[in-house]
Amino acid sequence: MTSNPSALSQGLVRCHECGQVVQISLVNKPCPVCQSQLHARTPHSLQRTTAYLLSSYILYIPANVFPIMNVTQMGVTEEHTILGGILSLIESDMLPIALLVMIASILVPLLKLIGITLLLLNVQLRWQRNARLWTMLYRAICFVGRWSMLDIFMISILVALVDLGSVSKVIAGPAATAFAAVVVLTMFAAKSFDPRLIWDNQSTRKSRP
Amino acid sequence: MNPDIEPYLTEDITLNKKSRLPLVWFLPVIALIVSSWLIYKAISEQGPVITITFPDAEGLEVDKTRLKYLDVEVGKVTAITISKDLKSINVTAQMNDGAEAYLKEQTQFWVVRPRVGLGGVSGLNTLLSGPYIGIKPGEGHDRKHFMGLISPPTLKNNDEGKQFVLETTNLGSMTPGTPINYHGVIVGEVLDHQVSAQVDAIKLTIFIKKPYDQLVKKQTRFWIDSGVDLSASADGFKVRTGPLISLLSGGIAFRTSSDALLTPTADEYTHFILYDTYDQSTQVFYSKTLTYVMYFNSSVRGLTEGAPVQLRGIPVGKVTGITLELDKKTAEIRIPVTVEIEPQRISIINNLPGVSDKEMVDALIKKGLRAQLQTGSLLTGQLLVDLDFHPTSKLTLHTNNSAFLEFPTTASSMDQFTHSAQTIMDKIAKLPLEDMSLEINSTLKALQSTSKATDRMLNSAKTTLDTTDKTMTSANQVLNSIEPGSTTRYELDKLLQELGQTASSVKQLTDYLQQHPDTLLHGKSKE
Repeated sequence: MTSNPSALSQGLVRCHECGQVVQISLVNKPCPVCQSQLHARTPHSLQRTTAYLLSSYILYIPANVFPIMNVTQMGVTEEHTILGGILSLIESDMLPIALLVMIASILVPLLKLIGITLLLLNVQLRWQRNARLWTMLYRAICFVGRWSMLDIFMISILVALVDLGSVSKVIAGPAATAFAAVVVLTMFAAKSFDPRLIWDNQSTRKSRP
Repeated sequence: MNPDIEPYLTEDITLNKKSRLPLVWFLPVIALIVSSWLIYKAISEQGPVITITFPDAEGLEVDKTRLKYLDVEVGKVTAITISKDLKSINVTAQMNDGAEAYLKEQTQFWVVRPRVGLGGVSGLNTLLSGPYIGIKPGEGHDRKHFMGLISPPTLKNNDEGKQFVLETTNLGSMTPGTPINYHGVIVGEVLDHQVSAQVDAIKLTIFIKKPYDQLVKKQTRFWIDSGVDLSASADGFKVRTGPLISLLSGGIAFRTSSDALLTPTADEYTHFILYDTYDQSTQVFYSKTLTYVMYFNSSVRGLTEGAPVQLRGIPVGKVTGITLELDKKTAEIRIPVTVEIEPQRISIINNLPGVSDKEMVDALIKKGLRAQLQTGSLLTGQLLVDLDFHPTSKLTLHTNNSAFLEFPTTASSMDQFTHSAQTIMDKIAKLPLEDMSLEINSTLKALQSTSKATDRMLNSAKTTLDTTDKTMTSANQVLNSIEPGSTTRYELDKLLQELGQTASSVKQLTDYLQQHPDTLLHGKSKE
């Protein structure tokens, strides 16, 4: 892997707020332009990410175990979990929608969780390969993050639209909250992760032959 | 590049900052608390798992069918399997927390489906939502396996009240659920019916709801109150109907007389007789009866078994049998009517302990007590037996072949009336009607000629009247001419004056002549 020297190795730090590049000797002083605190890397990036990730993992369990919506039809209340909803969609021959829901509600959050976990492991264990690939993974996680909210949007629209008393009614279940929290927390986790750390590994390798 | 900064290692900056615990670590703690609370709640809400055996699983669905007690959801069907003997199904249900309290030996389960009966519609909400399993908590030991009922238990929700047993010989249209009404208010229902141990009667278990069970006393009479009771008896037509529901699906009614209301209420499971009709239930049953036979010579059409025997209009008994007898020797037809007289209906004053009822009746017969057929109702033509004193009637006794004593009869007043009417009609028949009509005919002819003569007379009378009229007119004219002021009148007056004068002079003359009759010869003397 071709290594361009990092800004830090050249004694330069970029201000988070205004983008001013400052000499590293000024690290403990505020930015000369905007007076905000200067950091070489996002502070506590790994801890934050780990905390968010852990919360997401914990909430991911109720999100999948509990019903995400209670559908009342003709007086009969049925509880749908995420997985159960997908299964019933498949049963009613709506494979494309089932696939969509599956991707948005199960695969994406799961992959996101695993992806961020891998990123953290990568940084902590100093895996040395394919730094560019890891960065791509990070970018993908950042991009795909918001799309998991699809399920939550669908539920909120259904709750608002389908309210015909006992004939048919949709109520969000406890899993909906947990699921939304998972999505938001994974987004936070992705945001709080500093991708430069991936490259820092490479450079340490370089600096420590 | 500044040489001072060369020793900075990225590692130090990025990874060696674990000294402080950032606030962000609260987040996983909160997440842990929230999700563990959710899971704990879900687990703690789960009660025992039970199985119920039903004959079929019509309408039952896994995860959809609920178990409800008093319309509150207490569980959910989680599995439906077919039993090992392939004859029934086993429903596995996940009960909610706290269900152990009513999962006892006698707890009943049944499937609530829409039921449309004559008594009403129930379970209508299950039309849309599908059936659910109803629960009626019972007593006993804890259990996990139950037998489901085929139909809902008749007694729901632990109603308070009392159960009684009615005995009848005719079940009729009564089924569990048949209403029991008290003066038209539905106060209970039939729970069950079964044939008694002796197979001679049907025992109905009934239930009377709480405040009304106080109305059931030992003297209470129950009767079948179904449909329209139309009876034509000696008292006329009678129509009795129960409430509309009973009309359609049968029913039982009961009644407690007002003086019995003060007596203590009947105990639970007291046996009562269920009378077939209201009338039967109102009848008082007397232990002592006197049976007599009465021979009637006239027709007894309209007299039925059960017809009342009245003493001066008050019922004292009833007719129990009517037969027909033919005496082969004398070729005589008689109608012996058996009657039962209940002497207890008559209150006794100046009681003589030595005299039996039979002797008393004999004494009454000696005083002229006779039985007589009477029309009870002109509309229906029903007859009744009336007892009254006919001191003038003879005591005629027949050869009595029956086991009972004979009670003397007398011809009914109707018979007497028809008899006299018959005599009158006979007399009328004997009249020489033809001769009479001939005579009448000639009389009529004479009358006709007389009337013609009268007609002529009337005509002449009319002309006479005309003439009279004319005469009257001329008389009027004459009278008009002698009115005061007219010449004729004046002249008449004058004439009358002169006549007066003349008369007075004549009077003077005659007076003079009377005194001096000689003047007629000598002429007036010179005085």
